[in-house]
Amino acid sequence: MSEITYLKPKNAKFFRNNNGFLGLKFNDVEYSRVNLIKAFPFSYENKFISVRDKEQNEIGIIEDISLFPEEVQKLFTEEIERRYYLPKITKIYSIKDEFGYSNWEVETNYGRRKFTIRRDPNNFVNIKANMILIIDVDGNRYEIPDYTKLDKKSFKKIELLL
Amino acid sequence: MKLLYKLPQDIETRIKEDGEQILCATPYDLEIQQPVNGFFVVTRSYFYIFKNKELIRKEKITRYKEYHHVLAVGFGHLEASNDEEETLLISFSMRHVNRYQSIATILNSIVENHVPKIVSDDEENNCPKCGRPYRFGSRVCRHCLNKKVVFKRLYTIIKPYLLPLFLSLFLMWSITGINLVTPTLHRILVNDYLTPKNKNLTAILLIIGGIGLCSLANTVINVIKNRLMIKVSASITYDLRQTVYTKIQSLSISYIENRKTGELMNRITGDTNRVQHFISNEISIGITQLLTLVVVTILLLVLNWKMALFILIPVPFIILYFRFMNQTFRSMYHSQWRISDRANSLLHDILSGIRVVKAFGMEEKEVSRFSKISKTLSDVTANNEKRYNTIFPFLNYLMGIGSFFILYYGGSLILKEKLQLGDLIQFTQYSQLIYGPLGWLTFFPRSFTNALTATERIFEILEEEPKVKNLAPETNLPIEGNVKVDHVTFGYRPYDPVLKDINLEVKPGEMIGLVGHSGAGKSTMINLIMRLYDVDEGKILIDNRDIKEINQKDLRSQMGVVLQETFLFAGTIYQNIVYARPNATLEEVIKAAKIANAHDFIMKLPDAYDTRIGEKGVRLSGGEKQRIAIARAILNNPKILILDEATASVDTETEYIIQEALGRLIKDRTTFAIAHRLSTLRNATKLIVLDKGKVIEYGTHDELLKKQGKYYQLVMAQKELTKTRE
Ligand SMILES: Nc1ncnc2c1ncn2[C@@H]1O[C@H](COP(=O)(O)OP(=O)(O)O)[C@@H](O)[C@H]1O
Ligand SMILES: [Mg+2]
Repeated sequence: MSEITYLKPKNAKFFRNNNGFLGLKFNDVEYSRVNLIKAFPFSYENKFISVRDKEQNEIGIIEDISLFPEEVQKLFTEEIERRYYLPKITKIYSIKDEFGYSNWEVETNYGRRKFTIRRDPNNFVNIKANMILIIDVDGNRYEIPDYTKLDKKSFKKIELLL
Repeated sequence: MKLLYKLPQDIETRIKEDGEQILCATPYDLEIQQPVNGFFVVTRSYFYIFKNKELIRKEKITRYKEYHHVLAVGFGHLEASNDEEETLLISFSMRHVNRYQSIATILNSIVENHVPKIVSDDEENNCPKCGRPYRFGSRVCRHCLNKKVVFKRLYTIIKPYLLPLFLSLFLMWSITGINLVTPTLHRILVNDYLTPKNKNLTAILLIIGGIGLCSLANTVINVIKNRLMIKVSASITYDLRQTVYTKIQSLSISYIENRKTGELMNRITGDTNRVQHFISNEISIGITQLLTLVVVTILLLVLNWKMALFILIPVPFIILYFRFMNQTFRSMYHSQWRISDRANSLLHDILSGIRVVKAFGMEEKEVSRFSKISKTLSDVTANNEKRYNTIFPFLNYLMGIGSFFILYYGGSLILKEKLQLGDLIQFTQYSQLIYGPLGWLTFFPRSFTNALTATERIFEILEEEPKVKNLAPETNLPIEGNVKVDHVTFGYRPYDPVLKDINLEVKPGEMIGLVGHSGAGKSTMINLIMRLYDVDEGKILIDNRDIKEINQKDLRSQMGVVLQETFLFAGTIYQNIVYARPNATLEEVIKAAKIANAHDFIMKLPDAYDTRIGEKGVRLSGGEKQRIAIARAILNNPKILILDEATASVDTETEYIIQEALGRLIKDRTTFAIAHRLSTLRNATKLIVLDKGKVIEYGTHDELLKKQGKYYQLVMAQKELTKTRE
C-alpha cells in the first residue's frame, strides 16, 4: 500500500489512443485512457505526476517528466493542458476597488482579461515565494509567477496587496 | 441558470435552415487553453458547435451514448463517448461550469429518449443590469445598488434617532453661534474700552464677564451634547448589531459556511461600529462644520474682503494637497490594516493549535514566525506615524501662512489708522475658525465612503434571502417519523453532485444504518434530512409532507442529533443538557442523563450538574462530552434521531457504554445512524451502502452479508483489522 509504483520509460509505454487521448501500457495491462494529476502543481510542476485510470485509481507515479523521451513528453503536455488551466499574468493595467471587490484588467499569456475578485485574503494567495494565485468570483484562477519580475507600474498596483 | 442565450443572426439562420428547434444555446469560451468565442447549441436531434460564428461541428445527439461534464483544474470540458469513441466537444472557463453541467444532463436525457425539461431563467451569478458578478452566494449587485438606495437605507437606520440627532445638531449650532459671538466681544473690548481715554472699568468687567459666560455656556452645552450623543450611539450600535445578528442566525448554513467566521464577526461588530460612528459623529459634525465654514467665510468677506482673500488664497491649494495625500494615506493605512489582520490570524492559528506546536517542539519556529510579522507591523506602523506626523504639522503651518500676511497687512492698516486693533483681533479669531472645517471637509469623502461601504455590507446581509426558506407556518404538529427520500440529487456546488438519485423509505421506529467509505456522502444525506441544505432535485418527505412545506422549528424540534464532534457551549452541564428544552424539569434532566449513561460520571464531579464546562471550565473527555450530547438529544424526545459517527472518537469501552445508551435511545424513534465500526449497525432494520454518491446496496445486515458485495467486503476488512490488532 505504502510503496510507490514508479512508471519509467522502460516499463510504461504511453501512446496516443484512437480518439486522441493519452493511453498507457504498463505491466502488460493496456489502459485505453489515463489521466495525469500533478502532486505539486505549484511547487514542482514536472515532478511526481500520478497516472490514473478512468475510475481515478492510481496506476503509478511518474517521478519526473524529463525522464521520458521527448515524443512522450509532448503527449504529457497535451494531457496536462487538458487538465490544468492557469493563465499567467504578465502585466497589470488597472485594479479598481469598489465595495469589497476589485476589478482587474490584465494582460495574460492568453491575452487581455478583465475579472473581478472578492476582497478576501483567500482569493489572493501567496502559494510560494514571489508567486501569487488569484481566484476570481467565478472560480477562475490566474497566476503571477513571480511578482518581482513584473514591470514597475504593474508591481506598484499590487504592492499594497502583498 | 441561463441556458438559452440570444444567438447571433447568422447562427440562428443556419439552424433554422435545418428546420430544427433550439432547446439550448450557450456560449463557451475556451478551445482547450486558447480563448475563443463560441456557441454550443442543442436541438431535439442535433448539437452544433460554432466557433466565431462558424459551424465547426454538427452531430446527431444519439451518435454518442453518454455526455460528460469534466471538471478539470481551473476550467472544464464537455466530452462525449460511445463504445468506440471518446471525444472532446468544447472547453469552458469556470464561469460556465454550472451551465454545462446542466447541458450534459439534458443531452443525456435526450439520448435516453426523455424529453428534457429545460428551465432557462436569467438568474445568474452576474447582475443582469451591469454584468458584474454578485458577491458569492448573494443576489444583490453591489454596483447597481445605486447611491440613492444606500442613502435611503442609511436613512432607515437613522430614522428612529432623528429627534436626539436634531437636538444635538441644535446644540452644536448653539456652540458655533457662541463661538462667533466671542470674537465680537473681544473687538468691542479692545476698540472701545481698552483705550487710555476710557475710564469705564465696569464696562470692561461686563464684557469680560460676557466672554467668560460664553465660555461657560460653551462648556455646558458641550457636555450636554456629548452625553446625549453617547446615549444615542450606544443604542444605535445595539439596535444595528441586534438586527444583523438576528439576520445571520436566520440565514442558511451554506451562507455561513461560505464565509469566514472572522468576516461575519466583522459585520456584526466592525461594520455596525462604523455606521454608528458615521451617524452619531460625522453627520452632525459635518453639517455644523459646513455651516461654520459658510458663515465664517461670509463674515470674513463682509468684515474686510481684502484681508479675507489672504486667508482664502491658500485654501484651494490645501484642498488639492489633501486630495492628493488622501490616496497616500489610504494606501498607508490599508497596508497597515492588512498586516495587522495577518498578524492577528496568525496568532489565532497558533494559539488554537498550541498543542500541536508543543507536541512537535516548534515553539521557537512559531516565535520567530510571529516576531517576523510583528516586526513588519511595527515597522509599517512607525513609518506611517512618522509620515503622518511630518505631513500634518507642516500642513498646519501652511494653512497658517495666511495669518502672517494678515498680521502684516492689518498691522499696516492700523498704523495708517484705517483699521482698529480690535477689528484685527476679531478678524484673526474668525480666521482661526475656518481651518478646522476645511481640514475636516477634505477628510469627509473618505469617511463618507467608509460609512457607505459599511452600510452596504450590513444591508447585504439584511437583504440576503435564506437559501433554505422557511415558509410554512408553525403548527406544532407532531411528527410520526415516516421518512421518504425520493430521487434526490444534491451537491454543495451544483456542478459537482455529491448524492445522485437517492431513494429510500423508512417507517416510524426503524433504524437505518448508512455505510460507505469516508467521503461517500453519508453526512451529506443526513444534512439533507435535517434540511440544512435544500435538495437540487427530487424530494424528501416526512410523514408524506415535503420537508420544504414543514416549518423548520417544527421539523428540528422533533429531531435529535449526536455528531462525531460534539460542541458544548461554555456553561454548566445542566445548561448544556437543557439547551433545546429550557423548561425541562430536573427529573427529566436526570432521567435523560441516566439514559445517556452520563449520570454517574456527572455525579462524580464535585459540582455535579452545576459543573462549568467549556473553555474556562472542567475539561471533559471525548466520551463524556458525547454522553452529554446524547442526554441533550434525548431530552428533546425527538421522533427522528440522527447519529453521525457518534462513537468514532472514543475507545472501545466507552463506546460500549455509549452504544448501550444509544440502544435505549433509539427505541420508538426513526433513527439514521452512521458508524465507523460496522458491528454497531448490526441491529439496524436496513442498511444502505453508499458509494460515490449512489446507493449500491440496500438490505438487512444478513441479506447484505449473504450477497457478498461491498458491505461484505467492508465487514471483512474490519474483521481483519480487529484481528491484527489483537
Ligand atoms: N460543506 C461542504 N462543502 C463542500 N463540500 C462538502 C461539504 N461537506 C462535505 N463535502 C464533500 O461532499 C462529499 C461527501 O462528504 P460527506 O457527506 O461528509 O461524506 P461522509 O460523511 O460519507 O464521509 C465529500 O467529497 C466532501 O468533500
Ligand atoms: Mg461524515
